[in-house]
Amino acid sequence: MIERRKSIGRFRLARGVGVVLAGWAVCIFASPGSAAVEFARDIRPILSDNCFACHGPDAKHRKADLRLDTEAGLLAVRPGDSPRPAAVVPGKPDQSLLFQRITHADPDKRMPHKSSGKKLSPAQIGLIKRWIEEGATWQGHWAFITPTRPKLPDVGNDPWVRTQIDRFVLARLKAKGVQPKDEAERRALIRRVTFDLTGMPPTVREVEAFVNDKSADAYEKVVDRLLASPRFGEHMTRYWLDLARYGDTHGLHLDNYREMWPYRDWVINAFNANKRYDRFVIEQLAGDLLPNATLDDKVASGFNRAHVTTAEGGSIKEEVYVRNVVDRVSTTATVFMGLTAGCAVCHDHKFDPLTMRDYYGLFAYFNSLDGNPMDGNRKDPAPVERVPTAEQKQRIKTLNAQLAQVDADIRGKVAQVKYVEPVAPSEAEPPKPVEVVWIDDAAPGGANLQGNTPWQWVTKDKHPVFSGNRATRRQAKGLSQHFFDGAKSPLRVGKGDKLFAYVYLDPKDPPKEIMLQWNSGQWMHRAYWGQNVIPWGADNSTQRRPMGKLPKAGEWVRLEVDAQHVGLNPGALINGWAFTQHDGTVYWDKAGIVTMTDQKPAFDSLKRWVVYERSLPKPSMAASHAAVAAIVKLDDAKLNDAQRKQLTGYFIEYVYSGSRETFEPLHKRQADLKRQVTDIEKSYATTLVFKELAKPRDAFILKRGEYDQRGDKVGRATPEFLPPMAEGLPNNRLGFAKWLVDPSHPLTARVAVNRYWQQLFGVGLVKTSEDFGSQGEPPSHPQLLDWLAVDFRESGWDVKRMMKQLVMSATYRQSAKATPAQYKADPENRMLARGPRFRLDAEMLRDQALAVADLLVEKIGGPSVKPPQPDGLWFAVGYSGSNTVRFKADTDDKIYRRSVYTFWKRTSPPPQMTAFDARSREECTPRRERTNTAMQALLLMNEPQYFEAGRRLAEAAMRSGNNPKARVAFMIQKALKRPATARDFDDLLGDHAFFQSVYLKDPESAKALIAVGESKPDASLNPGELAALTMVASTIMNSDEFVTKP
Amino acid sequence: MHPIDEYIQLETRRQFFGRGAKGLGLAALGSLMGANALPAGAATGAASTGRPDVPHFKPKAKRAIYLFMSGAPAQMDMYDYKPKMADWFDKDLPDSVRKGQRLTTMTSGQSRFPIAPSIYKFKQYGQSGAWISDLLPYTASMADDLAIVKTVHTEAINHDPAITYIQTGRQIPGQPSLGAWLSYGLGSMNNDLPSFIVMNATWTAKRDAQALYNRLWGSGFLASKHAGAMLRRTGDPVLYLRNPAGVSDAVRQRMIKSVNRMNERLYKEVGDPETHTRIAQYEMAGRMQHSIPDLVDLRDEPKHILDMYGPDVHKAGTFARSCLLARRMMERDVRFVQVFHRGWDQHGALPRDLPLQCRDIDQPSHALIQDLKQRGLLDDTLVVWGGEFGRTVYCQGKLTKTNYGRDHHPRCFTIWMAGAGIKGGVVHGETDDFSYNIVQDPVHIRDLNATILHTLGIDHERMSVKHQGLDVRLTGVEQATPIWPIMT
Repeated sequence: MIERRKSIGRFRLARGVGVVLAGWAVCIFASPGSAAVEFARDIRPILSDNCFACHGPDAKHRKADLRLDTEAGLLAVRPGDSPRPAAVVPGKPDQSLLFQRITHADPDKRMPHKSSGKKLSPAQIGLIKRWIEEGATWQGHWAFITPTRPKLPDVGNDPWVRTQIDRFVLARLKAKGVQPKDEAERRALIRRVTFDLTGMPPTVREVEAFVNDKSADAYEKVVDRLLASPRFGEHMTRYWLDLARYGDTHGLHLDNYREMWPYRDWVINAFNANKRYDRFVIEQLAGDLLPNATLDDKVASGFNRAHVTTAEGGSIKEEVYVRNVVDRVSTTATVFMGLTAGCAVCHDHKFDPLTMRDYYGLFAYFNSLDGNPMDGNRKDPAPVERVPTAEQKQRIKTLNAQLAQVDADIRGKVAQVKYVEPVAPSEAEPPKPVEVVWIDDAAPGGANLQGNTPWQWVTKDKHPVFSGNRATRRQAKGLSQHFFDGAKSPLRVGKGDKLFAYVYLDPKDPPKEIMLQWNSGQWMHRAYWGQNVIPWGADNSTQRRPMGKLPKAGEWVRLEVDAQHVGLNPGALINGWAFTQHDGTVYWDKAGIVTMTDQKPAFDSLKRWVVYERSLPKPSMAASHAAVAAIVKLDDAKLNDAQRKQLTGYFIEYVYSGSRETFEPLHKRQADLKRQVTDIEKSYATTLVFKELAKPRDAFILKRGEYDQRGDKVGRATPEFLPPMAEGLPNNRLGFAKWLVDPSHPLTARVAVNRYWQQLFGVGLVKTSEDFGSQGEPPSHPQLLDWLAVDFRESGWDVKRMMKQLVMSATYRQSAKATPAQYKADPENRMLARGPRFRLDAEMLRDQALAVADLLVEKIGGPSVKPPQPDGLWFAVGYSGSNTVRFKADTDDKIYRRSVYTFWKRTSPPPQMTAFDARSREECTPRRERTNTAMQALLLMNEPQYFEAGRRLAEAAMRSGNNPKARVAFMIQKALKRPATARDFDDLLGDHAFFQSVYLKDPESAKALIAVGESKPDASLNPGELAALTMVASTIMNSDEFVTKP
Repeated sequence: MHPIDEYIQLETRRQFFGRGAKGLGLAALGSLMGANALPAGAATGAASTGRPDVPHFKPKAKRAIYLFMSGAPAQMDMYDYKPKMADWFDKDLPDSVRKGQRLTTMTSGQSRFPIAPSIYKFKQYGQSGAWISDLLPYTASMADDLAIVKTVHTEAINHDPAITYIQTGRQIPGQPSLGAWLSYGLGSMNNDLPSFIVMNATWTAKRDAQALYNRLWGSGFLASKHAGAMLRRTGDPVLYLRNPAGVSDAVRQRMIKSVNRMNERLYKEVGDPETHTRIAQYEMAGRMQHSIPDLVDLRDEPKHILDMYGPDVHKAGTFARSCLLARRMMERDVRFVQVFHRGWDQHGALPRDLPLQCRDIDQPSHALIQDLKQRGLLDDTLVVWGGEFGRTVYCQGKLTKTNYGRDHHPRCFTIWMAGAGIKGGVVHGETDDFSYNIVQDPVHIRDLNATILHTLGIDHERMSVKHQGLDVRLTGVEQATPIWPIMT
């Protein structure tokens, strides 16, 4: 209740701010390039950077009781015992304390104080002076005010304009007197947009089709095709994984494998299904809290489990818990709100109005995970969900259908049997010894499987199997065993019975000793073969009977033991069996008893069977037939019709001698199907999810952010300076997520569209896409950002529509060709006077190389894959006991998958990615650097997969043409998506001749060269020629044109 | 055969380049390309300049080597002599000493904290009379070259956070490492080699070694070119340095020339200066293919020099080999070299493992300092030795007269520094009789990093980069002061 009241108060405050700001909004937005000094654009950044640290929101560290981040602090007379004049007196710089102090003659009094290391430039001082002279109009921080759809700038009827976006861009350019570029050539354009929407290059055919398409909507058709491609989702996901700090290992200490790829696949599917962004946010932050949460919703909630975790010995649980929650809060704030909340872990934010109380209010939403903060070095630290793949789902569906069929079959057949109690039950025939198999392909029902390590079932394809489909295998150093007890239908021992089992000893790794043990209520019955090294039981008694030498290795041998010899006398019930060995590798198969005692007696009389059942210590039926077990005990006379029917049905299906032949095969089939279902279910991938504790954990302000320095207890609350949570929302993560996507939220939509912009244009409209606070850069085109944000929200948060809107603009479609002077004047293209041109990201580079080489294997989703990387990278850093200390490359198709599927070990990420500025994913990364280094050159020239791609391109060229010119032309076309020019031939044919002269003379080098990579070279091609052409291909694939988005 | 040796042998056999021409430089490449092919500005390489305001003052050191002992060496068995502990064998650490200090959960459950006095003998060395244990005879013999600091402390008590903290200034991942800061601030002095090189040495202690993480030499939020280049002990010494099989140096040079010609043409057409930078980077890549094999080719080292570093120098990847390579890097003006030596986490069986670890590092560390000195390089090279925290005086696990283990201890540990800007023959700071608490001159790891930066001409307070709205520094937001008393 208290929080609700606070929220209402806050709402008033926020509205008040809005009113104050209405005026400035018009001013800043309506006159781009206006000469007037604007507080929000020109002054606040100076004050924030130079003054707020001591005169800002952080009350605890505020100096001289002077506050410059609020209107009151700047312009109001300062209260106190003797009120002091305002820091700024509009129109009068000389009377303004602020101006006096930044221009003070005494260096000790001049601000910013020299101890801060900050200094104002004369230009900055001039701006402040002008701002005061012009009336010192104050404006709130732009990003904290809910955006409204701005009026479109009037740029007349300029034919350059294609979309509304272009009006904003053109207005700005016109004000600066700069001309935008015309549309890029079609080949460049389709290459650019295909990279931007799918992360891959277009095919030659797609390029030529577009070039030749004369229809007015040729480009739009391309865009629509790309947005519909499943590659779109893979590409968009790649950026999201940087934000979500997704990795395939824990990231700290042991850095073991951590299974979460179903979350990655969820993101891909979300983008491909064009999930609304608001749903995308809600499901990731609180999917588990949605009413009737689906498995997908829960998988999505893994977003806030993706942070790094540890189980380092010695770690203090509480400290790890706090770190985990801090990561969740900071990441959530950065990703969805562009806020650098991390500062407020230890103190009130120095620059933005985010207090520690605000921070820990957010903390309280994310601290109640129902799971241990330590990851236990497991791949699946709870809470997790098991997630079937589509394939697995299909298999299960098929098996269940088959099971249902068998069930129906059984039911039908039970109904057909007309059981009549015989007048004179037949006397049982004199029994003959029969072999009763107890263990074959599975342990008997109810068995509780145990062992030093789990039971290892192996199949015929790779191992010896004696009977059925599988056998068990055990490899041991010293004593080791697998066993069970608790079998539901025990073996009944009769006079003269023999126990048997089949064994196969690995001739390369024989054991010292093997032993069988039986449980008759106690494990007191043992027989062994080989050396007497297993010390259990009294030697040479029924507790440890020597049976002679080890059986012959390398073949299946039947072992037999007289039951009485090991103390199992007539009437004994065996409920457990152990397969024990010392050293070696041993396989076991088919085991049971040769007996004259009927194990599961068939009865031709229901009455006799009931009598028999009642004589047992407990009824013989499985747990699923508990109802029948209960009925059996009842007095026959008291049974109602339904009960009688149930009893009879069971009898017919399981016991009646007259129908055993009918039902036994069906039961076997049923058991087999059920086992297959269980096996598949056991192989489901796991993925980390969020799950709330039944009772939330208390949250406290932590002094200086220290886990053990608890201050005030705090409840869940959204930050004071942002609009309040709507009435009626639950005050939990779900409410929080819905608050984020409420139309009143000033940040969420802006931050999202800005990232899409950054993705396409290289730099966001707000360059600091991770920081929309006052230390972030103000937007280059504030109106455009707001227009896009409102449009995005009002379109129903339609991501594909937004991406389409951006790439349809004339701004995006501009040519990137410019003069060096133009590039120099605006290196980051903030004015947008040319098309976006920059080096492709790591993933796009690799995918492009694989694509032009026709090596790429496209398949959506699944476990992460390990393309080859240089030996020893993991080993050089890994903890000796980590399960990712040694890298083993995958083989076959897996090494040619798209890079979004590459296995990400966070303490040693894939070098093909990090060399091109991919970050480690140890923390949220809203944008990557884009560097240009010698290491990158070495990688592109020498990395085996890139080099192999060159060879594959050369092979295709050789098959397509029979002279160097045609082959070079082919490669240029396939790699650069344009016809070769005379200059290309000038450049490359001479080199080709040189390479040819080298490799025709040196076939050994040629053969070594074309053997690089995992795929085999085309044996029909001359190695010398192929080697020479491979070098030309590699040249093209190292060119700036190839590695850069045009 | 070791791949690097193999490479060298191959090169010799092929004789593509005589030893004199190994450093095929830009000029040669330029002439291959024709006089006009080289864009203006490309010659300097893009990686060579640092931040314009750095150095902030005249640096004492131009370059530095950091010998990092990962796992935390036991200070009281090596440098922090505590004779009184002899009387405390198996007695409990007084609560008045522990003062509720938080412990790792590896020993917080122990019912008692019995003191394990060091079993090693200590003697005094040099003018400073520094106490050094018998485990370090070579190091002891150069006591007067060293400033030994016995009072370094940290807050982190477990390896991952602690080593991340000392290397990047923050316990959680994401910040640039010390070397990345130096590369960013100071730039490179050698266009043909990375400005920050990392080596990861082998170790001989018999227990599992703590992990290292790429972040320890990573660039954090700085550009990735500032990340340390790992000089590897297997395969290519630098990732992807070597040409694919069958590609000779002549073919490679021709290809680089060809790539750059294509790029030059594209530059004329499109006008993007990044294309020019790429040309320069391809040239540098070509040069690195010679400068790095040259760097790791030890055939020009005379026997008496090899002998100085000890027998391990003949084995690739050892600490001794790494020290010799570090000296060669200093000669080539690599800005910063960091050698990581693992295996110092002696929770148990310390008497078995610590001598092995000390043997790994003792003679090579000594040789490195003396070798730098005899070449005049120590005058402008800083050398730092140390780990991420210290170890407890009380025993972890079973204590006997001859065997003990020690848990993590953040409150005090010993490092030493030598060379440019550092006074030799100084012992700084004092701990209590238990090597548990600092009684005089505490040095936070921030102070240590401030000292390293200062020696290299950087004011740690001014060396900040705006990231996520904050001015981020290696030394963080709290007060840090260089260790003035040990500095010249």
